[in-house]
Amino acid sequence: MAILNPTYVTVDAILTTKGRELLARNDGSFQITQFSLADDEIDYTLYNPYHPSGSAYYGEAIEAMPVIEAFPDESQIMRYKLVTLPRGTSRLPVINVGYNSITLRQGASLTITPQTLNYLGATSTFEANGYIVTVSDSRLLSSFAGTGITITTPGITGLNTTSGAVLSSSQVGTSFTITGTTINTLFGSSLSTLTTTLTVIGRDSGARITVPLNIQKVATV
Amino acid sequence: MSFTRYATDDSVVSSETVVRGLWSGDYNSLASFFTSSTTPTEYYLDVYDSNTLTNPSASIQYSIQFGNSNGSGSAAINPSVPGYSPSRVVYGQYRNLVYGTETKNFSFDGDATTSNSIYVINVSRARYKESLLPGSFNLSLKGTATSSLSLTDDSTTTNLTRFIGENRYFNIISGSNGAYYTAGTAAINYGLFFPDLDIIVLNANALTSSLGGGYFVTSSLGNSTAFNHRNLFDSINRGNALETGSFTLKSSETISARYFFTRIKNSEYNYTTNPSIIDENGNLLYTTLVNNPQTYITTVGMYNDNNELLAVAKLSKPLVKDFTKEALIRVKLDY
Repeated sequence: MAILNPTYVTVDAILTTKGRELLARNDGSFQITQFSLADDEIDYTLYNPYHPSGSAYYGEAIEAMPVIEAFPDESQIMRYKLVTLPRGTSRLPVINVGYNSITLRQGASLTITPQTLNYLGATSTFEANGYIVTVSDSRLLSSFAGTGITITTPGITGLNTTSGAVLSSSQVGTSFTITGTTINTLFGSSLSTLTTTLTVIGRDSGARITVPLNIQKVATV
Repeated sequence: MSFTRYATDDSVVSSETVVRGLWSGDYNSLASFFTSSTTPTEYYLDVYDSNTLTNPSASIQYSIQFGNSNGSGSAAINPSVPGYSPSRVVYGQYRNLVYGTETKNFSFDGDATTSNSIYVINVSRARYKESLLPGSFNLSLKGTATSSLSLTDDSTTTNLTRFIGENRYFNIISGSNGAYYTAGTAAINYGLFFPDLDIIVLNANALTSSLGGGYFVTSSLGNSTAFNHRNLFDSINRGNALETGSFTLKSSETISARYFFTRIKNSEYNYTTNPSIIDENGNLLYTTLVNNPQTYITTVGMYNDNNELLAVAKLSKPLVKDFTKEALIRVKLDY
């Protein structure tokens, strides 16, 4: 008989930019209710199933790596989430939004309806709990709405504003409509295109895709 | 599924007291004292930890002020309105802060002694964090060649917490580390130590009496620029020359932290959306991972109900996860 070692891993958390924003709002929106796990910096090509010392050493190179510190940009961290899938899954879910990149003229709208490929035995499916779509710089959109899923409306701070910090904005739904900003100030005197990213995450599968979002300046909006 | 809800008993709030050395660099004793000649004022004298002319990172540690209820010891702000001087402003400022009334002068020795002249040591906000730690205050002053004083607060000699109004205070006595030099010997109270106001109020009359002889003279002349606060600075400097690092203090800060117990079951989080584990068709790179999938946890993300990422924690090294392993990660979030 041996004594079980009741150790646990202790880590310090930092607030993200979004977390600080919601904490500052003081309206109850800063409520941590759930967690997710990620392995952003893991390169699985380092996993070596041919290691001469056997299966206990397949992950040797990965397990020895130091992990970089957390950074507060919520759009740049937790990119590759760990997911719970049935044992024996050989193909992992992938998000398809129908575009490799999105370009909108100022004031123009586009509706996207994400799908998940290779999920729960289906070639293509719409996830029951929908998708989370996050725009990294909410200033570049004049409207941003998700439909199809009933949930407390997430913050849409910063939409159609020309000042303030770059803050992300998220919507939950099965279908999303985005409209490019109508305000010219962000373009300055020399820019004709503003670029940000749109990240789509399956709420069930955890699969994720990020596509560039370009807003083109027009002479008269 | 990529999110797990925390149960009610998965988080706990805890408050811890953190004690640090008060001075820059978290040192509890200050070994050198400098003033800046560029900002002379009759209201206060800033004291730095190093020479401001040669060290750009020199920072203010505390300020010394002199106050007199009648305005003596400093020139009138407006020469045509005598009595309204910086010393009167300072006295009134601290009297209001401590007593909340303009009708009472500072009193010491349990109200047995009142004084219309005070010296105040006001610790810089960046240094004290939240409050001064009772029992950590030691200050050596030197007057004449034969007169010197070692001051401390009397926090370790009494179990009572005393208050003036809502302000917690301790008497400043001759001794060290919160105790009299001679146990049980009643001594002069040289001042009042307010740990939560982060000020030390010294009785100018008591200091002059103990350190006088021409070396510590508090001018009570009306309408004269005496720079009395310089007296205390010089006396602290001479005390430090006798015993380097003789001004010691610590700060005390209560930090509230919330702990989240992140419990990961054996059947959960054994697959990843990391693109380096699949080929262009979404197939796992290695067949060994199909029936025995393995992932490496490096990051814990904490979300609200809207799936907005509020806080994030990183592990120091990847944590292996598969169908035979469970994990408990305690995440600490400081406020």
